[in-house]
Amino acid sequence: MDRLAVTHQAVKQLLESGEVEGVLALRASGPSTILHLYRKGDDLSDLALWPKYNAPKIMDLLQRSAPDARLGMVVRGCEERGLIELAKHNQVALDHLRLIGVACTAEERDACRCAWPYPTQIDAGERVEGIADALVAEHDKLSLEERGEFWKQHFARCIKCYACRTVCPQCFCEVCMLEDSLWVHTGTMTPPFPTYHLIRAYHTVAKCVGCMECEAACPADIPLPVLYALLRRDAEEMFGYVPGRSVDELPPLVVETLPQGG
Amino acid sequence: MFRSLLKQVGINPERMYLGWISSSEPARFSEVVQAFADKVRELGPLETKQGTQNG
Repeated sequence: MDRLAVTHQAVKQLLESGEVEGVLALRASGPSTILHLYRKGDDLSDLALWPKYNAPKIMDLLQRSAPDARLGMVVRGCEERGLIELAKHNQVALDHLRLIGVACTAEERDACRCAWPYPTQIDAGERVEGIADALVAEHDKLSLEERGEFWKQHFARCIKCYACRTVCPQCFCEVCMLEDSLWVHTGTMTPPFPTYHLIRAYHTVAKCVGCMECEAACPADIPLPVLYALLRRDAEEMFGYVPGRSVDELPPLVVETLPQGG
Repeated sequence: MFRSLLKQVGINPERMYLGWISSSEPARFSEVVQAFADKVRELGPLETKQGTQNG
């Protein structure tokens, strides 16, 4: 049975068992997909797996409006890691959730330049190994000056649409620093100094799981995940922390301050 | 971590200094700030299009 058929079967079984009230999954919509909360008895024939969506964020919103709902969700690797990271920050409750794990195909992995294209438990699909992001390797070869030039050129195209912030599953602050005129002037184009991007990049540290949604959302094609991947690597070297790897690993930037803060 | 970010976006990490100085050490505070101010002056302004105003 192919991946879609197996997923279809798993969603159907989960709904019919009565264990969950709904399952969040992708649904074919024109040439693309959209997330849909499938309920018992729904027609599952339009269930889809690709292109992906920022599903953890939608689950976060769903649980906010229905905190007690028992839900299921079809997740790929990045989505599961996103949920785990959100759970650590008290944004989603994993104990209410039943996950159906889907491994990404080699094509999907290549499209996302993904280092980790599978969830912890694979219910559908075959595991393919991750690849190193070639753009990150290229960036590593640049000197400090060249890096400055590289990002200056990319950031100069930014129209400050806030899409990267809005689409990001890990951006859940109720008050966003990027909307505070003390830090970022709103209503002006192309920031002369990339305050917006530096703040955003810093705020992804130990949270960003590399889901690539910001890159997909960016109308200016700024390779934001490259910067976030570099920071992820630095944080792993410094703290041994990999975002989304395990619910039991506490985020380093939080853990470090607790014992002294009292 | 912030130093690492500066390094990755091509800003000299030397432009950032982090130090812990007690409120009972005014001489040390003055020394450190003076030394850092001198260093940044030596490095010169950061080349951005219109100075370093908020984006």
